[in-house]
Amino acid sequence: MFRSNVKNRLLVDKIMMGVVFACVITAITPLLWILGTLFYGGAEALSWEFLTQEPGAVGGGIPPAIGPAIQGTLIIIGLSSILGIPIGVMSGIYLAEFGGSWFSKQIRFFTDVFMEFPSIVLGVVAFLAIVLILGHFSVWAGAFALSLIMFPIIARATEEALKMVPWSIREAGTALGLRKWIVTLRIVIPAAKNGIITGILLSVSRVGGETAPLIMTILGSSQFFGGLDSPMDALPLRIWRFSLQPYDEARLAGWGAALVLVITILAIHIGVRYWFIHRRKSMGMSPRFSKVGV
Amino acid sequence: MTRLIDPSLDKLSRLMSQMGDMAMECVSLAVDSYLEGKGTGGRVRELSTEITTKYFEVEDLTFDMLLKYQPVADDFRLIRSSTEISYAFSRFGRYAYDITQVRHLFGDISECKNDSLFEAAKKVKHMIRDAVLSFAELDVRKAVKIQEDEAFIDRMYKERLPKLIESKNTKCALAEALLLRYLERIGDHAVFMSDAINYIVTGKHRPTQEQISSHISKN
Amino acid sequence: MATVITPKPASSTIVGSPINIPQKKYKMVTENVNVYYGNFLAVKNISIKFPEKSVTALIGPSGCGKTTFLRCLNRMHDMTKSARVEGKVMIDDIDLYDKSIDPIYHRRKVGMVFQKPNPFPTMSIYDNVVAGVRLNGVRDKKILDEIVEDSLKMAYLWNEVKDDLKKPAIELSGGQQQRVCIARALAIQPEVLLMDEPASALDPIATQKIEETITELKNDYCIIIITHNMQQAVRVSDYTGFMYLGDLIEFRETRKLFTDPKNELTAKYVQGHFG
Repeated sequence: MFRSNVKNRLLVDKIMMGVVFACVITAITPLLWILGTLFYGGAEALSWEFLTQEPGAVGGGIPPAIGPAIQGTLIIIGLSSILGIPIGVMSGIYLAEFGGSWFSKQIRFFTDVFMEFPSIVLGVVAFLAIVLILGHFSVWAGAFALSLIMFPIIARATEEALKMVPWSIREAGTALGLRKWIVTLRIVIPAAKNGIITGILLSVSRVGGETAPLIMTILGSSQFFGGLDSPMDALPLRIWRFSLQPYDEARLAGWGAALVLVITILAIHIGVRYWFIHRRKSMGMSPRFSKVGV
Repeated sequence: MTRLIDPSLDKLSRLMSQMGDMAMECVSLAVDSYLEGKGTGGRVRELSTEITTKYFEVEDLTFDMLLKYQPVADDFRLIRSSTEISYAFSRFGRYAYDITQVRHLFGDISECKNDSLFEAAKKVKHMIRDAVLSFAELDVRKAVKIQEDEAFIDRMYKERLPKLIESKNTKCALAEALLLRYLERIGDHAVFMSDAINYIVTGKHRPTQEQISSHISKN
Repeated sequence: MATVITPKPASSTIVGSPINIPQKKYKMVTENVNVYYGNFLAVKNISIKFPEKSVTALIGPSGCGKTTFLRCLNRMHDMTKSARVEGKVMIDDIDLYDKSIDPIYHRRKVGMVFQKPNPFPTMSIYDNVVAGVRLNGVRDKKILDEIVEDSLKMAYLWNEVKDDLKKPAIELSGGQQQRVCIARALAIQPEVLLMDEPASALDPIATQKIEETITELKNDYCIIIITHNMQQAVRVSDYTGFMYLGDLIEFRETRKLFTDPKNELTAKYVQGHFG
């Protein structure tokens, strides 16, 4: 009775495999199509001048350059990280290691809600809090808004990464007579390093492409970085501006800028991952496959 | 809850009780053959051989249990004492056989009987019965009686032997000497056995001073 | 208060402290230790005297409170919010639970090895062994090198790993990892070593090595070991305590407890009638 429907089950197995495979293809295809379109549409615009010059006047047949936009994106990501990463990681540590109290439950709830906030709302908050008070658009405001987006992502990822570290590690540290903050800092966090890095990378990718908050805070500009107190350009803003202009060169420039943005984010990802994977391999954290001795 | 060791323990207890019954029968027959001139040599020899076979079986079984189960506490003491007790049984069989051999070697010894021999023989039969029952019921109270009986036989042994030197009848003197010797040895082993039983029940070893010194002086 | 003789029904609590060994000093003494998890009393009024330079085994069925009791001895329950410990735990006459002393400082006198080997995953063998020392402020490389060598030698692992101390500790086999943990515990120079079923996650040969290690270490340390393996307790320990449902039922020299237990419950447990 058990043996007789083996053929049936094998067939069902194959069918399910087929279905799953088809789903995967369906999901990946649009992604590949987008990437392909980006390359196809934007490669033409790429040139040294395109990447390094200011946009200049519109019209004239050549695609306006995006030098300031690239610079601005890198600056805004960097600044937001400086603001958002330490606070996010610290919060994550607090939630994981000292959680359990009513207070931390509220923090966790607050963080979860925060993650779902529409980014334009956060842009408005930054607008009200900083732009209106100071009286002008500035990089500060943009960094503030983006760090608000980064913070909950990093905090949650850090908390989860720390929770994944087995309790027995903390016990071992405590049993050695080490104080709690030393155990957390020198033993648990290094063990959770990969998860924390992943959280940070995720948040960086997220804010790299945010447009709405930037509209209300750094506004955009055609010049290179002119101080933290003034408006600044960024790739998402520039792409948006290009897409609204009726000129063909602007459209082409838009594709190019989009391509550059995707490549930039990709580069950050691969770079950081590689640095850690490379380091990991040399530390030998690959799976154990040789057990010598007893 | 049946443990892995329980079937082996059951087998051990069956073997031991069989040996006990055979030892009692064996010694009774041997002593009667001497005192009443019955020809029980063949049966006694049969029993003695069987007891010895069973003794080897018990040895194998106890070591097997030690190897497999690493017993502790009551089990451990029981197994440990079983080796001593089964050895005592095998000695009973052996001495019983030796006693029948006296008649066999010496021929008719019906004129050699005397009261003290009867007394001693009766005591020995009781001793063995007490020892076997004491083991079967793990009852240490009989130990006292066994020790008294053994003391009696020892005393008689020490009293009679010198007198035999002056005996006119060499054959009877020698036969009696041999018999007394065997009875005394049976007595000793009965006491060892009761000590072993005492160890099972109370966990205490209890060789008495006299036994230790008597051992040394005999060797 | 020495030994008790007649077997009593299971409910009675009997303690026999080894007072009849006058030559030995006691390294660790517990008095009336009770541990509550919330309202549940997990460890009931345990008083034991652990002699120095000896191995004491704690045996008993699962859930009888052995691990809970062991964790009192180095204040591990401080990590658990719901646990409350009463009573005294004294090392050389200093009560670990005294409010006036720094628990972390005194906790370093008691090393602990856990059931499952738990070397720090991001650290090499060297770093693992020195972790307790280095993270407490000692930086001098020469001293650290010495500590590593001494500790690994005491744990019987030096010869196997001395050529590759920078290897990540998690790449070792289970038995070696456990010995790294032992070396790590020894590196902080404790006076008492607690071991919670140190060999239960290991194969028989690794277990044997751990037992050999313990037998060597007892010349210098007071060792308290929890084990489920009766034969291991017999092989390795000098004294044994049997616990059941939070009570200490019997505490005697190992050989006596295993050949002639005084309490009927002890006899039933060691012979495998339950547990």
